[in-house]
Amino acid sequence: MSVNQLLPFISTAIMLGFTVWVLQRYAVRRAPPFLFWGIGLAMFASGSFAEAYLSLAWNQWVFFVWYLFGAALNAAWIGHGTLNLLFRRPWVTVVTAVLVIGSLFAGYLMLKAMPTLNTSVFTTSKPVSEQYGTKVVPPGETAPAGTQTATVTYRGQEVTVIPGLLPLGSPVRLMTPFFNIYGLITLVGGAIWSAYLFWRKRVLPNRVIGNVLIAAGALSIGSASALTRFGYGELLYLGELLAAILMFAGFRLAARPQPQEAAQPAVASAD
Amino acid sequence: MGTQTPQQSKSHAPKDSILFEKVVPVALIVMGVLTVLLILFAAAVLLGFIHF
Repeated sequence: MSVNQLLPFISTAIMLGFTVWVLQRYAVRRAPPFLFWGIGLAMFASGSFAEAYLSLAWNQWVFFVWYLFGAALNAAWIGHGTLNLLFRRPWVTVVTAVLVIGSLFAGYLMLKAMPTLNTSVFTTSKPVSEQYGTKVVPPGETAPAGTQTATVTYRGQEVTVIPGLLPLGSPVRLMTPFFNIYGLITLVGGAIWSAYLFWRKRVLPNRVIGNVLIAAGALSIGSASALTRFGYGELLYLGELLAAILMFAGFRLAARPQPQEAAQPAVASAD
Repeated sequence: MGTQTPQQSKSHAPKDSILFEKVVPVALIVMGVLTVLLILFAAAVLLGFIHF
């Protein structure tokens, strides 16, 4: 087993510990943000484990877990926890309903995509994040040397593609950016905003640094994921490990009780 | 002895700290810019400007 194959297993172990820690806090405090964070982190952990598994062998249901929880939903659910903390208003309940229904619908679309998986392209020599999508080769351009291509009919036109596990135009793939944009705005934006509020007031330095670490962790996985699309897939596992370490450290630091401090949320409230 | 106000009861960022005066604001700005770039990237994928 190479170091790159070992990294997602380490990330999984850290994320599992992180998930248990957050859900324990939910069990004690019954505060909704901890529940959403816990669900999102559990998705992150299962996605990370699925990725580790898929670096060793193929299993279509492990791929189901990897795509749905690891690639599509986890950031949105973690970020929704932050939204619940920042805004305690009725409209947040509506957003919760949209997130739940959207997640169930994404699961349904993923189930529908399962019989169409092109498993012949799968290899353990590349991260699954480099293999899941079917990529269009734009007219006039050529695929990288040694890459297998195919011609398919898409929206009435013949296009050259680099085949991936999910066929071109899979509806579940079209939904994924919505979840990830929402997750990016709420998780990273929420952490940056909280850090800024505490920093501006010059109070609770642990929460300033904690939120900076949370934002940095979320950005490290987001950036590594984007770089994968540009052919730097070897950085993904490292980005995931960094994300797990930074976010866990950030949450723990932000939640650390301060001397004479009343129980307060770990990020600033906008109410 | 005066009564402690809620503000006084909280810990404060150390004065003249390079971490809090320089590193944190720069980190927040850089991360904010990176976040916007990633959102634009995701939006470009969503709108079909970038094919993956």
